[in-house]
Amino acid sequence: MMTLRSKFLLLTVALTLSVGIMAHAQASPADTELKSATAAAPTTADLQKGDPGGTATGTINDVPVANPKTGVTVADVANQVGQNKIAVNFVWTLITGFLVMFMQAGFAMVESGLCRVKNANHTYMMNFTVYACGLFAYWIIGFAIQMGGAAGNGNLGGLQPLSGEYAIHFFGKAWGLFGQKGLFLSGHTYDVGVMVIFLFEMVFMDTALTIVTGAAAERWKFLTFCVSSVLMGAFTYPIFGNWAWGGGWLAQLGTNIGLGKGYCDFAGSGVVHAVGGLTALAVALIIGPRIGKFNRDGSSNAILGHDISAVLIGCFILAFGWFGFNPGSTLGASAAGNLRIGSIAVNTMLAGCTGTFGAMLYMWGLKGKPDASMAGNGLLAGLVAITAPSGFVNTIGAAIIGLVAGVLVCVSVAFVESRMKVDDPVGAISVHGTCGLWGVLSVGLFADGTSNYGGAWNGVNGSVTGLFYGDASQLVAQLVGIATLIGFVFTFSFVLNWILDVFLGQRVSAESELAGLDLPEMGQLGYPDFVFQPEPAFLRPDLKGVKAVA
Amino acid sequence: MAATRQQGQGFGLFLVGITVTCGGIAEISSGLGKLALAVGLVLMAVSFFRFLSLKPLEGKPALGTQPAASKAVGVLVVVAGWLLVLVGLHMASGVAGRMILALVGLAISLVGVAFVLPAACNKNAIWKA
Repeated sequence: MMTLRSKFLLLTVALTLSVGIMAHAQASPADTELKSATAAAPTTADLQKGDPGGTATGTINDVPVANPKTGVTVADVANQVGQNKIAVNFVWTLITGFLVMFMQAGFAMVESGLCRVKNANHTYMMNFTVYACGLFAYWIIGFAIQMGGAAGNGNLGGLQPLSGEYAIHFFGKAWGLFGQKGLFLSGHTYDVGVMVIFLFEMVFMDTALTIVTGAAAERWKFLTFCVSSVLMGAFTYPIFGNWAWGGGWLAQLGTNIGLGKGYCDFAGSGVVHAVGGLTALAVALIIGPRIGKFNRDGSSNAILGHDISAVLIGCFILAFGWFGFNPGSTLGASAAGNLRIGSIAVNTMLAGCTGTFGAMLYMWGLKGKPDASMAGNGLLAGLVAITAPSGFVNTIGAAIIGLVAGVLVCVSVAFVESRMKVDDPVGAISVHGTCGLWGVLSVGLFADGTSNYGGAWNGVNGSVTGLFYGDASQLVAQLVGIATLIGFVFTFSFVLNWILDVFLGQRVSAESELAGLDLPEMGQLGYPDFVFQPEPAFLRPDLKGVKAVA
Repeated sequence: MAATRQQGQGFGLFLVGITVTCGGIAEISSGLGKLALAVGLVLMAVSFFRFLSLKPLEGKPALGTQPAASKAVGVLVVVAGWLLVLVGLHMASGVAGRMILALVGLAISLVGVAFVLPAACNKNAIWKA
């Protein structure tokens, strides 16, 4: 039997061993290195001497410690690395969002420049006011509908508060229809990551809204424009945005029925531009052409804008903002394949370049002049078209996509005006609608299967791959998206604006239209010191049809 | 008549209405939320009927009447094409079949958008007079 003395001796040995093991664990090589680094780091006295070379600023002493008594630990360093990743992504997403916000200025200049001087104030004001209308509507409900079920984005910290996607069950699968979290950004969505994604998605939404003002310029009643914009920011845009980007049913086409990686729209050729362009078409159909645009035999008259310099400078501002639009859509610059931002930026530049050539050479070759406004529209067409595929294609694909868009916009402008008899003063329907749809389609053709954003897209493992690189099913997913844009978004916009036409009236009076909208609608001329020249005969009020209604 | 004070007031009422409506949706599980939803919808309806009363005062636009029935037909054609695409996803299981049905549906929708609806909207256009 063990004596009391032996038991005491055994207990002492065990305790000594335990303490030794704990001490060994605490003094692991990593901790030892961290302590050495802390000791070697510049002291306060060193930093007081100044650091012109930048070699002493930013050391281990800048890592926040959880427990000052133990000093910097591996856990402290790991937490800081994680926060740095999120911080890099936050800053990237916010700054690119600021660039997209500045595109509003470009849109204002392009649209106003392409309108007559008597409508300059009205056109600028629509582009200005749409920002407030859209932002407000998106805050109160639009964001919740679009992104209220979009939890799971690791680039921005998970966005876990956005976990309320409403889905229906159909053929044994759940299909997302709309989000439910985030109205007024209140409750659990009062969250740093949610604020970042709100800002970024909001400026995209506002881009879609401002497209409509171009097609309806020079005759849209300001009141109706305001109400229509609020409703578009609250419902039209967010519903499709949810289906494509918020975890909705279009994004689930891959996981649910095996169509490629689901509907893929990297930065919004469909979600932003086609939604804007198709809504523009809906409003333009309802609102009708400007007085004097078409003759009795159906031929059309060119109604020239007042400032081509504003148009071209505006195009450059838009091209600059597009560097926020496309590269920013990674929602981060760190981890998850986000270093592809360089490729995305180059694709964006290239498509704009070839789009400009496409439109300019088409007009020059067929009409004899390198039409400035169409060259500008060619740049925008290339940028619109590359928006969806920018994250999935190589530079050759990007150049082809832009070139096709540049020609397509010219053909589409002629078709919309000559065949459809729709008056679109700035070409918004063609630039954003037609070329937006082309951009969506081009993902299904040109995606080269080399992108890798964390190993999966829309929940399907692998890279987005188009028909030319071996995956025909991706093209089907894109076609379903295009059909939904036309079948649902256009229809929804048309019916909504039809109702507004019944209650509010979409169009100003003939009297106001002839006078120019600056005074009747805004109460102030855009350029009060200008001396207006008499307008051509076809724009004067002695036309039979106009006289009948005026 | 163009933009007026009454229009501005009506738009303000509309904004209050839609804000209260959304507040009601956000708190729909509570009694106060349901009340807010009802009040908001009433305010929006009031603003719309106010707009309707102002409409005749604003002068006639240079726009011919657009026959509602023709426009409705155009809308139905556009929607029919989309529905065919959606149904086709379940009717066909192979990629080729789905692609063919998607293209057919898309073509129907495009006919509605590019030909049927413009014809309806331009039927009585003033430039034809």
